[in-house]
Amino acid sequence: MPPRISPSRLSHPETCQCFRTRPCEALVNRQFHASARHETLLRRDMWKWLKGPGKAFRKPLPSSTNYLGAYDKQGQLARMKMRNDGDGGERTSREAEPMEDEDAAARRDMEDEGLSEDDRTLRAEQRAMARATRDADVEEMDDREGIPKERLTDLRPYPLNQAFRSQSVLSEDLREMIYMQAVENGHDLASVAATFGVDIRRVAAVVRLKTVEKEWEAEGKPLAKPYSTAMLNMLPTTPFRPNTKNPVTPHEPINDLPVHPHTRAQIFHPTSESRSFTRADAAKIFDRKLLPADDRIPLPMLVDLERWKLQGLDRAARGKLQVEKDTAARELAENKERKRIAWEQKTQRTVPGRRWDFKFQDVSAEQVGKDGRALPGRDAVGMRYGFPHVDRKRGVVKIPTSVE
Amino acid sequence: MVLRLRLARVSTPGGARRHAPLYNIVLAHARTARDSLPLEVLGTYNPIPKLPAGYSESDVKEGKARKAKDIKVDVARAKYWLGVGAQPSDTVWRLLSMIGLLEPKYLPTGPQTEKALKAVRFPTHLPNSQASTSREGAVMEAIKEAAAAKQA
Repeated sequence: MPPRISPSRLSHPETCQCFRTRPCEALVNRQFHASARHETLLRRDMWKWLKGPGKAFRKPLPSSTNYLGAYDKQGQLARMKMRNDGDGGERTSREAEPMEDEDAAARRDMEDEGLSEDDRTLRAEQRAMARATRDADVEEMDDREGIPKERLTDLRPYPLNQAFRSQSVLSEDLREMIYMQAVENGHDLASVAATFGVDIRRVAAVVRLKTVEKEWEAEGKPLAKPYSTAMLNMLPTTPFRPNTKNPVTPHEPINDLPVHPHTRAQIFHPTSESRSFTRADAAKIFDRKLLPADDRIPLPMLVDLERWKLQGLDRAARGKLQVEKDTAARELAENKERKRIAWEQKTQRTVPGRRWDFKFQDVSAEQVGKDGRALPGRDAVGMRYGFPHVDRKRGVVKIPTSVE
Repeated sequence: MVLRLRLARVSTPGGARRHAPLYNIVLAHARTARDSLPLEVLGTYNPIPKLPAGYSESDVKEGKARKAKDIKVDVARAKYWLGVGAQPSDTVWRLLSMIGLLEPKYLPTGPQTEKALKAVRFPTHLPNSQASTSREGAVMEAIKEAAAAKQA
């Protein structure tokens, strides 16, 4: 039987592009054999791709993403090829100069008379840290079976959409750590967000979901662990590596100012040149109630920190200022809570009955708003009489604003 | 004319509905219609016990949560009107006696003597620290005391 595929087609470079989008000029050049039907060609192409460049996708890479964009047209991992072409990799250079062992280094330090005892312990700690970092690196490399880490260009799952990059997700360790810091150690979410370089909303979500997870574990409900491990193996993750030089890898920009809908309008506002026009004034022009950008920033303490650095304050002074700010914030929060509790004690009573409780709240019947038609149940007590209801009017909020 | 503190049925915020009663606690002339314009609105009473947020019926059955009826009342105004002789209806009497504005009219069980009624006058209008710390409430305490007295 004659070969069914012409040599010209075989010499055509294999691509990792989807076989439907492959250019098919080769079909025109076919010398013999009546042209096969379209579907047959497609199927043939599919098998060719599966046996050729597509073979790489049959088994996923360990601890790495496995996107089309990371392979070249021959189906070879681009970053592997680059490392082999280059003069040795990161790993070989590191292996070339092995670290001297702890005993030798300690002995050398002891012999050096210029060092005090504190210096020696400090140096020992530094050496331990460096060793832990190297061990973690080596372990990570072994996990990936010697394949180098993805470059930014390798994180494109769709070869036709070059602008799309797969974003990292939080690793299991990091999520656990965030939960521990926020719930068990009781740090506020803003500090946790700043420490781990994770958006404050994401921190809140992690805490909520972890709480549910722990509850389910306590109840003995099965978790979809195999699913989550499979997903985490396929996606790029932000690691948390305790006891290394850089335990925290920043996950995302955390102090971006969210675009408030009120600021989307393009406003031309004439002011006199002599007037100082600040961001606070700009906010007022956008909307009467809009806070200035400085107050809307998610983590204002990071701005403070940077400002103190620019002022040239040293580390100790900055720490002192930080502690002062933290104390003030804590006192403010405690004061608010105390006031709330006092108010509840003053106005609320629960009288237990046989089947249900009676919850009494002392209200003021005179608070009915300026026009006497404040929203009953929310701002005023009781249903008002003699007014038509406005709850079907345009622009009046009809959805409940709280859960009861 | 006699002034009465009574309940007036009002439509729910979403519009009038059957089986979803909601009452205003009002001050009105005794001979006016129940739902007519009152002299003053003192509060609201929702007679349907509500689950606390985040709990389900099964939690109530297991004893993890308790349902509660919501009552909002302007205590100062209610006190004033009682002081000038407004007559509470039976239901309003029962509610106001719970927060100690009035003596309860009757006890669920036991001897209905004046002394017993005075004894269960709920101290809930006092600050929480002075109020009885017992979870059971004055009514249950009175019932238990009566039972103990019977046994003895």
